[in-house]
Amino acid sequence: MAERSQPSANYSSWPVMAALTIVSLPLLLMYVYLFLDTVTIKQQDALLPSGLTLDHWRFLWQTTPGKANIWQVTVNTLLFAASTTSVVLIVSSMAGYVLSRLNVPARGFFLAGVMVLHAFPSVTLIIAIFIVLQMIGLYNSLIGVILVKAAIDLPLGIWLMKGFYDTVPWEIEMAGVVDGASRFRVWRSLVLPQVKPGIMALGLFSFLSGWGEFILPQVLAPGNQVQVLSVYLAGFLADDNNYDFNMFKAVGLFYLIPVLIAYALFNKYLMNIYGGGSKG
Amino acid sequence: MKSSRTLGLVMIAPAAIMIVLFFLMPVVLTAVFSMTNMTTATGISGGVYQIAPNSLITLKSVMPEIAAELAEPRYTIDEAGLKAVESLGLAPAIAAELRAKHAGEVFATRREAERMIKDLAERPSTREVKQISEQFNRSVLNTRFDSKEQLFSSLDGLGFKLTPEQKETVAKTTYTGWTWTTDNFSRMTRSPDMARVLFNTVLYVALVLMLFNVGYALLLAIWTHYMPATPASIFRGIWLLPRITPVVIYVMLWKWLAWDSGFISILMGKFGYPPKNYLLDTAYNAWFFVVLINGFIGASMGMLVFSSAMQAIPKSQFYASEVDGASRWQQIRYIILPQMRWPILFVTCYQTLSLLASFNEILLATNGGPGNATEVWALSAYHTALRNYAGNLEYGLGAAMALVLVVIGVMLSLLYLRVFNYRTLVAKPLIED
Repeated sequence: MAERSQPSANYSSWPVMAALTIVSLPLLLMYVYLFLDTVTIKQQDALLPSGLTLDHWRFLWQTTPGKANIWQVTVNTLLFAASTTSVVLIVSSMAGYVLSRLNVPARGFFLAGVMVLHAFPSVTLIIAIFIVLQMIGLYNSLIGVILVKAAIDLPLGIWLMKGFYDTVPWEIEMAGVVDGASRFRVWRSLVLPQVKPGIMALGLFSFLSGWGEFILPQVLAPGNQVQVLSVYLAGFLADDNNYDFNMFKAVGLFYLIPVLIAYALFNKYLMNIYGGGSKG
Repeated sequence: MKSSRTLGLVMIAPAAIMIVLFFLMPVVLTAVFSMTNMTTATGISGGVYQIAPNSLITLKSVMPEIAAELAEPRYTIDEAGLKAVESLGLAPAIAAELRAKHAGEVFATRREAERMIKDLAERPSTREVKQISEQFNRSVLNTRFDSKEQLFSSLDGLGFKLTPEQKETVAKTTYTGWTWTTDNFSRMTRSPDMARVLFNTVLYVALVLMLFNVGYALLLAIWTHYMPATPASIFRGIWLLPRITPVVIYVMLWKWLAWDSGFISILMGKFGYPPKNYLLDTAYNAWFFVVLINGFIGASMGMLVFSSAMQAIPKSQFYASEVDGASRWQQIRYIILPQMRWPILFVTCYQTLSLLASFNEILLATNGGPGNATEVWALSAYHTALRNYAGNLEYGLGAAMALVLVVIGVMLSLLYLRVFNYRTLVAKPLIED
């Protein structure tokens, strides 16, 4: 997007930029102070910090009584996001290929179904999913939430992968089949490398959305043993009696840093998905 | 090609299974659960039959005599009681006579039972009569029965003379599990709270959608469109931050801005205003922040869609209009906006559905407060079924509320499918055979 040429050189752009800066101010303020407040000391009613400190990061080496250990929570979050991503990637790269290239019964039906589900807000199903997980005994386990989250991301994944497979030329498969490779082999070693950008985009999206997911773990796995960072932080926020914004912010920044790094490195892949795909 | 067909089935199977398990089944089950009175009290698996004090209260309104009868103990001369009498260490003849003459008899009250015991050949003392009668006290109160049959046979065994209909009523009122009912829907249509929630939902969706998801997003897209590439991408990056930030952190930042120890309070304190919780002090403020919080996230998607649509407008149209002396406003009015019709329609439709069902941000920011001011439909369903202050989670009612959203979701998705993806769907993709 950055290489876009300017539509017009006849107009000066600074008034617009000033206006945009003003409306962006709340956001800028919030994110700048998110960083600042975690490493500085501020008097009760001061707007500017008066000194540096690392005290707000003490949650990294101290466990607050009654709360889970931050490192265990981080490992859970990582496990949750990574497992969701792998399930989504594996399942949707297979299903997308089938929908793009192979003739299976009820293909059209499946295709339409996936499209409907893609637009459908699955979070409305959470009550039924909660009851089902309780019945089958997967309530309060990471596996249950991982499966549910992966299933919810799946329609987007299948749809996206199908789009990428559609752009791969036929000749590649022809060549493989003529050389005597099985269709599975052709998919795995010839077609799959062709859709790497799609896999990157979907993988990154799944990881970030799993990393930030709040409502599913909150409802389906609230226990201390399986807590993820979003639930952990929400627990801090709900605790009205002793709120210490600077420490929340340190936890928040700790939680946000991987997202920012991933976004900075791969934002061009993500744009495809955020533009048309995700909800919000 | 047979082999590719099998391969296709194998490769699509995991996706099909997961979608059936976690999409289609929950949809069906939401409908099923909405027809039940499932709560925490009834549990989610089947219950038992228990004549507990509270079920007797219910029963009293229907059949007062039977309820009173059930509450009283019954005296049954059964084998277990006889064994207990034998082990009391009284004269052995008492137990023997009871077994021989009275086994299987049922006495409706303690007095009757004790009169019978007094009349025994052995003539037990008053203290012993009490002791003996106690062994035959077979109250039905607070006993658990796993099935209806067990309950009925026990009632018969204790000599309650009930007609089959009366028995069914007793079974119904004493059942602790969930039952089928359409009550949830009539409750939903009658309750004034629900009407309020519905109004909130419509207001919330309309405000966020018009002000931010479409209006402000369009403004952002146009602004960045007329900007040099570098600042444009910086501003787009800033406005994407809310979307990539995990929702909990994002809402925390707003709370920091608006709480009584937060930024606005401190800033206003410099001008002599006392600190207060701007997020929750009045309903208007709460609404203001709820709309802002959701709008800032929603603006990004519209911005991206509109920006890419604007880039697709041929540059020559802009150059030509400039040669003709068009102002920037005229460019926007006559070149950009007419070509934005489809993207605007797309964003509006898509975001309506997302906004209807999203409640993460409101849950974390105001939790529906102050009072019920910002409680929207999806959040209310969540509160009813999964996080209730009263403690009794009403799964059935919550599912009924969710079902309303599910029905709207399915209908709108089908509509979008027709309107937006129709061409993609009919286009024949690369496929063999």
